[in-house]
Amino acid sequence: MPDRNRGFLVTTVLIAAAALFLSPLGALAQSTAAPASSNQPTTSVSKDRWLHVRVISSDARGESVRVNVPLELAEKVLPAINKHRLHEGKIKIDDAHVNDVDLRALVDAIRTTKDGEFVTVQSKDCDVRVAKQNNHLIVHVLDKENSKKSEVEVRVPMKVIDALFSAGKDELDLVAALHALSAQGDTELVSVKDHENIVRVWLDSKNVTD
Amino acid sequence: MMLLAKAALGLGGTIILAGAYTMREGVIRVDVDEYRAGGSHLHLWVPAAAVPMAMHFVPGKHMRHASEQAREALPVLHAFVKELKKYPDAEFVEIDDNAQHLRARTHGGKLQIDVDAPDQKVHVLCPLSAIEDVTSQLEEHAPGA
Repeated sequence: MPDRNRGFLVTTVLIAAAALFLSPLGALAQSTAAPASSNQPTTSVSKDRWLHVRVISSDARGESVRVNVPLELAEKVLPAINKHRLHEGKIKIDDAHVNDVDLRALVDAIRTTKDGEFVTVQSKDCDVRVAKQNNHLIVHVLDKENSKKSEVEVRVPMKVIDALFSAGKDELDLVAALHALSAQGDTELVSVKDHENIVRVWLDSKNVTD
Repeated sequence: MMLLAKAALGLGGTIILAGAYTMREGVIRVDVDEYRAGGSHLHLWVPAAAVPMAMHFVPGKHMRHASEQAREALPVLHAFVKELKKYPDAEFVEIDDNAQHLRARTHGGKLQIDVDAPDQKVHVLCPLSAIEDVTSQLEEHAPGA
């Protein structure tokens, strides 16, 4: 084979080989595998903060719901949604009054109050406790009305509540609240248990639920 | 003979290069199976890089119409995909019961949505970069852009 032909052949083969190596054909091969077959999500622990929602139902249908949302993603996407009462990451509420309760004044009062119990109700049917403890607002409800007890516990960091009400009058700043939430350590925010369902909302640095 | 060999090599090399370029972003895969009388069965494999390229050939008025239709969703979709790219392998939603299974996650930089129900199965796998390219092109054709 003449030298110039050999050179042309070598060049062509080298270009083709380089193209094959540099192109993500390997990725293509992976992607062509059955999409539902790879059931192994990557678990990573990073500085990312993830909000998790888990619902497990023990009824006949045995439903389970797992939702994992990176707080940073929610912070960036929310301002892009401008629909109905939601604008630029803030949600409009009517005059900050709900059933003639001035929410803003209530939050101000709670913020400046020392830790303690605000509401304690204990009855045959139901126990209710609202308290401020370690800079968290805690609401605990135990329904004892029938044999099928249900229990609700909500723990919200005060900084998150402050951030939520940091927008102008008549607005709740969801993005600021999410940002404040992302600065919190691993924490359980909501827990609901009854005879059929378990609902948990919590915050951690893992991108999958346990 | 040698001339023919050169031509064949050139053509082969070009095909390999073109194939590698077209496949550089992977494939968009859509599988839909409806298990009922007259139900549709759609199995679509498209090179992801081909979609933004093909959009350049869509007449401007159709692109403007599509952009107008998607006007409200485009900023949300754009922000969503941009953020999703930071999480190339993550589970976002998983819903199960005895009969149905729904999952939305990212896997290898692709958005993967799987729905398995007794009457239908839907599997979508789409590179996030392809969705970003499409939304960018639609935004470019938006009225006033």
